[in-house]
Amino acid sequence: MELVRAERGDEAIALLLPAFRRKVFGLAYSFLRDREAAEDVTQEVFIKVWRALPGFDGRASMSTWIYTIARNASLSALRARRPQSSLSDPEVMDAVETVDPAPSADAVVDRAALLRLVDQLPTKQRQVIMLFYMEEQSHEEVSTMLAMPVGTVKTLLHRARARLSAAAGKTSATA
Amino acid sequence: MSAPDSELDKHLRALFGGLDTGADFDARLMARLRAESQTDATERAVRARQQERARYRRAVLELQSWRRSMLRLLTLDTLGVAFLLVVAVVTAWPRLSRDVMDISRQYGPYIAMLLGILIAAVPLLGMWAEQTRRPIRLL
Repeated sequence: MELVRAERGDEAIALLLPAFRRKVFGLAYSFLRDREAAEDVTQEVFIKVWRALPGFDGRASMSTWIYTIARNASLSALRARRPQSSLSDPEVMDAVETVDPAPSADAVVDRAALLRLVDQLPTKQRQVIMLFYMEEQSHEEVSTMLAMPVGTVKTLLHRARARLSAAAGKTSATA
Repeated sequence: MSAPDSELDKHLRALFGGLDTGADFDARLMARLRAESQTDATERAVRARQQERARYRRAVLELQSWRRSMLRLLTLDTLGVAFLLVVAVVTAWPRLSRDVMDISRQYGPYIAMLLGILIAAVPLLGMWAEQTRRPIRLL
């Protein structure tokens, strides 16, 4: 394996970063709902990976191992941080809106409304929705990231979509 | 999937599809890793210094042990030499003058014993100096 042959840890991290940076960040973000905190956790995760890489025995796959570290780090950060921020907080809105360099006014309103709806979903549904649409709709990847069966991911996704559709319908009806 | 769901998919993809870290994330991470590497190197250096100190202490103890055993050997050696000297003096004494013979008859054993004690005392003094951590000038 290329990573095992990479004697220097920072070289191994340079190989891992392109493959896992967004995924780890997305996973942390799905827990923390705060861009800055998610970036901090992502950094911590890669530093932990860098430290633990010499002892990685390959019993679990690299992605499973990294996601486990990321989940634990996110949960620790979540426990340490109170009160929780919300996806519909102005700061979070700004962070998510930076994804699109020049959104139209309507798009911003739609996004704000959609973010609020996503924010109101139960935690697991919200996480699945975020990771699923972030990770180019791979059920398997989301199931690995959240350590839950693919079937559960599909069920949660279906329920979240149904809720969002219903809520979006209500919102447009009242508008 | 119905048409509104497809629209929802489109919106959600637009919302979360481009979610990523800041542009300088990799550079910041690599800088932190370099800093951590330096910290590790410092810790390694401290550990190496501690190990070297422990090795030095062990070597000093071994040397002290060797010096003590040498002193013990010297003490036995000196006692042997002193005994031989006494025997030699006692044996040679009859060939010396009668006056000396007379004196020796009276004081000879005492003189020989004193001489032997003096010769034997030198390494014993060395051992005593070693035990009291005084500098040893005999070796």
